[in-house]
Amino acid sequence: MPQTQLSPQEEQEKLLDEALQVVKVQSFQMKRCLDKTKLMDGLKHASNMLSELRTSMLTPKSYYELYMAISDELRHLEIYLCDEFQKGRKVADLYELVQYAGNIIPRLYLLITVGVVYIKSNESCRKDILKDLVEMCRGVQHPLRGLFLRNYLLQMTRNSLPDCPPNENPEPVKEGEVEIRSGDIKDSIDFILLNFAEMNKLWVRMQHQGHTRDREKREKERQELRILVGTNLVRLSQLEEVNILRYQKLVLPGILEQVVSCKDAIAQEYLMECIIQVFPDEFHLQALNPFLRSCAELHASVNVKNIIIALVDRLALFAHRDDGPGIPNDIQLFDIFSQQVSTVTQARQDMPTEDIVSLQVSLINLALKCYPEKIQYVDKVLETTVEIFNKLNLEHLENSSAVSKELSRLLKIPIDSYNNVLTVLELKHFAPLFEYFDYDSRKNMSTYVVNNCLENGTEIPMAEQTDQILQLVSSLVQDQADQPQEEPDPEDFSEEQNLMGRFMSLLNSDNPDQQYMILNSARKHFGNGGNKRIKFTLPPLVFSAFRLAFRYKEMAEEDDKWEKKCQKIFQFCHQTISALIKAEFSELPLRLFLQGALACGEVGFENYETVAYEFMSQAFSLYEDEISDSKAQLAAITLIIATFERMSCFGEENHEPLRTQCALAASKLLKKPDQCRGVSICSHLFWSGKTREGEGTEMNGEEANPVRGEPKELQDGKRVMECLKKGLRIANQCMDKSVQVQLFIEILNRYIFFYEKGNEAVNVQVLNQLIEKIREDLPELDSSEEMDQINKHFQNTIEHLRLRQTSPESEGPSYQGLEI
Amino acid sequence: MLVLVLGDLHIPYRSNGMPAKFKKLLVPGKIQHILCTGNLCTKESFDYLKTLASDVHVVKGDFDENLSYPEQKVVTVGQFKIGLCHGHQVVPWGDIESLAMVQRQLDVDILISGHTHKFEAFEHENKFYINPGTATGAYNALDSGVTPSFVLMDIQATTVVTYVYQLIGDDVKVERIEYKK
Repeated sequence: MPQTQLSPQEEQEKLLDEALQVVKVQSFQMKRCLDKTKLMDGLKHASNMLSELRTSMLTPKSYYELYMAISDELRHLEIYLCDEFQKGRKVADLYELVQYAGNIIPRLYLLITVGVVYIKSNESCRKDILKDLVEMCRGVQHPLRGLFLRNYLLQMTRNSLPDCPPNENPEPVKEGEVEIRSGDIKDSIDFILLNFAEMNKLWVRMQHQGHTRDREKREKERQELRILVGTNLVRLSQLEEVNILRYQKLVLPGILEQVVSCKDAIAQEYLMECIIQVFPDEFHLQALNPFLRSCAELHASVNVKNIIIALVDRLALFAHRDDGPGIPNDIQLFDIFSQQVSTVTQARQDMPTEDIVSLQVSLINLALKCYPEKIQYVDKVLETTVEIFNKLNLEHLENSSAVSKELSRLLKIPIDSYNNVLTVLELKHFAPLFEYFDYDSRKNMSTYVVNNCLENGTEIPMAEQTDQILQLVSSLVQDQADQPQEEPDPEDFSEEQNLMGRFMSLLNSDNPDQQYMILNSARKHFGNGGNKRIKFTLPPLVFSAFRLAFRYKEMAEEDDKWEKKCQKIFQFCHQTISALIKAEFSELPLRLFLQGALACGEVGFENYETVAYEFMSQAFSLYEDEISDSKAQLAAITLIIATFERMSCFGEENHEPLRTQCALAASKLLKKPDQCRGVSICSHLFWSGKTREGEGTEMNGEEANPVRGEPKELQDGKRVMECLKKGLRIANQCMDKSVQVQLFIEILNRYIFFYEKGNEAVNVQVLNQLIEKIREDLPELDSSEEMDQINKHFQNTIEHLRLRQTSPESEGPSYQGLEI
Repeated sequence: MLVLVLGDLHIPYRSNGMPAKFKKLLVPGKIQHILCTGNLCTKESFDYLKTLASDVHVVKGDFDENLSYPEQKVVTVGQFKIGLCHGHQVVPWGDIESLAMVQRQLDVDILISGHTHKFEAFEHENKFYINPGTATGAYNALDSGVTPSFVLMDIQATTVVTYVYQLIGDDVKVERIEYKK
């Protein structure tokens, strides 16, 4: 009767301690008897010690500790017996003798110990004794005790199993001779397979003992014991004579028969993986069909997916190994797996869809690693996946669902391994799989595709491919029927659309005609993107078109239609920019029209002046109709003037209205300082602004060719002066004194600029007048940080003049008479 | 003190990104200040610069929408007053005397401008002018041979050593130009 209540753990420790105490005492006695060569007494104590293993009270863990302690002590007995036999003692007697031990557990342990020593001393009876031992172990049917007993048998016989090929032509046993039955590899295989089968049965039986509420605990204990069963397979793999042929014919069928027939999920899952792990890849390659067929027959709750994936991963690694022989040509690895996986999938109706897709993931990995050049294999996997989804009637897979995640994984593999979206586009069944995703997943996958293109700099060289890929990633290009109602986060949205804008520059063909078709295809897709998207996607398209026009110009000699083509390109640009106006943008189309005018003038195709004029006048319309903020107005008119100043494609009849328009617009700015600055900047149009002389014609045979004069700077000094004087007048109207002085200094700088450029309308007298005016006004300003800046500006201007006066540039004008 | 000078990225309108070889050179933690001549065009480009250094100054380019970027800016680094301006407002574009007007107004030792997509660094009337070109090699209608480039300035007391990095073909070429106050 226990005096106090012990916890189960304390109870275990106590029981184990007591048992180990007995082992200590009995083994001590055993060794003392053996030292005195009292063998019978020694065996008696050994038997007493072994009786401790009869317990049913210990957990597998404690039982294992006890077993280890006892098998250590049994080593002494084994060594003693070996010595004895070498001295000539008859083993056969002893083998008989230990059979009389009273209890079955001690008896069988002793029998195994003696039996193995017997084999060592006399090999001729090996076959019989091995058979005898493995059969007799059937006597213990208690799972835990039986498993350890058979484990002892396996451990003890590990160096004594026959590992030689069978003798094909045994000589007939002559009369009077004893038949030598030392056995061969077949006996070893039989021995281990039998032991394995018996152990597995014991192990499986554990599952069905005890109360159902202890199931979880029982399964945990079973997992702890699994290695005892697996050791049989390890032992088989260690036999030299287990070659590919014997593996195919004897070993694997034997193991699989037991695995399938035991109908136990834990055993099946563990043992199938164990087979994969312990036998070499070359063996697996030659026995794929039976192994995979068995997978289809396993218990419904076995995770077959993991087993197949483990095998695929190993073989893929094997195929990839540098020093390995690779996959033999006669093994159609992909076909075998593809077929068997489909058999498994069909056999297991209740397999979760994500697991079915996972299997396809491992197949695609196999195809890519073992047959990197065969994209049809990858496509086959995708096709199968499409079929599966069709059959299951799946659609709009939710972003967070396991199936959606597995499908994303499946599709990312070809993207990542090819790192070339053009190859991905060759997969006919890739794009259709996108249709099964919901909106979020489609967008994520699309982003993944586009990022892959950008990271690898994959250029899309054909209009058809452009069409395909923009169709594929349409969730980033156009509104989708299933997109959420609420507006996307603006920052995320612009990030996503900028990505598409960047992608535009990858749409690139070496052939300009093809490039033109690419742009048209892209225009169709992006043009339908809606007002919010086109702001990001159309400008890159326009710049791409400008670049194309320059390319046509470069190859003018090879393509006699280049001018017509350029005309079409600028029409395309005009339409595309106009689409932005329709979407109620103004600043962006204005700047694009100016860029278009610049490009037009530089490319210089037939009729380019008219087109450039049209682009400039569009920019003006936008300026007048759409830009109302005064700061934006000043910025816009400055940019129009600056752009126009650089252009040299206009004849006087087009230049005149444009520059007048500039001056007019500048003088109509709302604020006086803005007016003043705008008008001053206009002065440059009359100096470095360029026109071509009027178009005449020159007869060349029958044809009349237009003659284009070289561009010439206007250098109209008088008109420059008029602009600057107007600027001064406007500055005089400013009420804010410090702004006024600031404007005077700015105009003084422009005077200096034109004086140094040789404009004779500006002279030293004009400079002196303005300098004097500024000198009078400066002291009137209140001292402030702003005033300091104005002062500095003036000082710097004077410093410049002084420098020029003291060390004049050889070609520059003289500053004689300047009062500084 | 290392100052990175760059601009006219025009991502995504004219380019899909900086050359990988430039990005490899620009690692966080080495650069103290960034002076950008504008046309970053997107917040992502600005965020990228922020990963390289915390002190980033940007002026507005003709394709920048960000209204908070000023047209001009003056930054003092060590003993140098540096003016920053994109340059599309300076008529005629890239003209030395016109840029000198801006220099006199801002009262700076060094004037940095962009817009022409062409690297330049020169002294004019004892002042130093830098144009870092375009870091992405972005298209320019007026120049068919654009080369991607950026500038690093090493500022020590009264000396600025300017290193210009240009991507010529597939190679990054570096040139060194010195300026003393």
